Amino acid sequence: MTTLVPVTYKGGVYRHDEIMDLIDDLGGYIVQKHVMAQDVVLQSFVPRDDIDLIREVAKPLAGEVVEAPLVGTEIAVVSPSLEIHHLPHTSCDIAEYLRRAGAKTNMVGLARGFGKRIANLNDEERDVINEHDLAVYVLGSFEECIRQKFPVLRRGIHVPIVVTGSPDRETLMRIVDPPVEGYVGGVGRIMHRFKRPEELAKLDELVDEVSRTLDTRRDDLARDPLSVFPPRLMAIVEEQIHEVTMLTHPTPVTAQMEGLRVKLPYDLYADAMRALEVADGVTVGDIADVTPSRMRNYILIRIKPFSETRILV
Amino acid sequence: MPPLNYFVVESPDEVGRDAYERIAADVLQDLDLIKVLDRLHIYVDPKVPIFVAVGLLRHMPRAIRVADFANVNPGDAEIVLDIGDETYLAPLLRKLWALYGKENVDQPDRFTVVLPAGAAGEEDLDQMVVADPSETLYKDVIYALQYIAPEGFKVRRQYIRDGKFYYVASEDTLPADIVETMVAPIFAKMGVTL
Repeated sequence: MTTLVPVTYKGGVYRHDEIMDLIDDLGGYIVQKHVMAQDVVLQSFVPRDDIDLIREVAKPLAGEVVEAPLVGTEIAVVSPSLEIHHLPHTSCDIAEYLRRAGAKTNMVGLARGFGKRIANLNDEERDVINEHDLAVYVLGSFEECIRQKFPVLRRGIHVPIVVTGSPDRETLMRIVDPPVEGYVGGVGRIMHRFKRPEELAKLDELVDEVSRTLDTRRDDLARDPLSVFPPRLMAIVEEQIHEVTMLTHPTPVTAQMEGLRVKLPYDLYADAMRALEVADGVTVGDIADVTPSRMRNYILIRIKPFSETRILV
Repeated sequence: MPPLNYFVVESPDEVGRDAYERIAADVLQDLDLIKVLDRLHIYVDPKVPIFVAVGLLRHMPRAIRVADFANVNPGDAEIVLDIGDETYLAPLLRKLWALYGKENVDQPDRFTVVLPAGAAGEEDLDQMVVADPSETLYKDVIYALQYIAPEGFKVRRQYIRDGKFYYVASEDTLPADIVETMVAPIFAKMGVTL
């Protein structure tokens, strides 16, 4: 079986459709396509053995292929507050940097997350965060505040968490109890854009920490694989349900590690989605849970593992 | 940062202290207040919790008069104001409209304002006060301190008068004697009495 690796293709608009066709022909999947003026960025999964071939084809087009560890993941960047008080926001820089590594990031600003004593997480915020593959908590400057408010902000969250804050990594590890999956110290409340080398190094450290955490999850998934690879299901949804192509969202179908978020109204499309045929006689309903998302009225598809369905598409 | 004569950030949390020193420097720079402040002392303790900022202003900018940005040329039939800097043109026009009526204030181009000699002339146009930047400066200084303080500290007390200012904020109710117990000693450290 060929292993698919996450990569980012960066190149010009000119003849980029050839690259898209090539990835398709090789059995890869394009998860996200961004066209920015004359540049194109493709977040995709391609067979490991064929990366050199893509590089070869892309050479005359001045395109480059780089490994992007976070392609096909949806990450929540959770900040206790997205108030004007903190502009320019640290979480914006963090979200943007994770996007460069291939992730689809969503910023979650809590309604009442500020304050040491009064911080709160409501049920909607909790459910929205739980719909992601991982949550990055962007916390502040004081050890005492993180110690007191973090247990409240993580209540009910069962996705992996990476915590950032001003105290160093060791201090964060000491004050966060029970432990979370990742820690990045020395970030905290910064009132300017990340530009100094040491600040950018922190962002790289964060990407490493996030991809390390997700790799652990990927290893688990390799032991009990999903009934269908999410980008494959994504390609089928995009092909069969033509309304998806008419959506104006940047990512009408968002690939996650264990499912998809389809930005169509649940009430109108859930039944069609469940009845959608993935392979001969196998429908989406057989291999996945189609549930309403807490994010607007979207559809959230959670793919079941092989051990549960005994089906592998 | 900073050409401030005195800039101290104090906190029992060493990491938080460094972070707030950077935050204060960034905010003052962004809001262009470094030249306005002479001294600034910040004390922040998340355990209490309390945030205190105390300081002195360098000098208050004086009121802007017509002569500062325009030439007044009185003629027989009309008075011509030759505008050198447009910054305060809008408040000037508003003043002139109120004094002489809109129909008597003519502005043939961006840098010229013409008044009929009959309508104006008795008053000393040159010395008319157009704007007072210190009015907004007070607001700017308090806004900056509010901006520096941690967001959760919503209960606050502020003061700015005669070149001295303080800003106290907390998440909990502030004690009634907070100025005597926390603010006055910091002023004393700077050799100033409130």
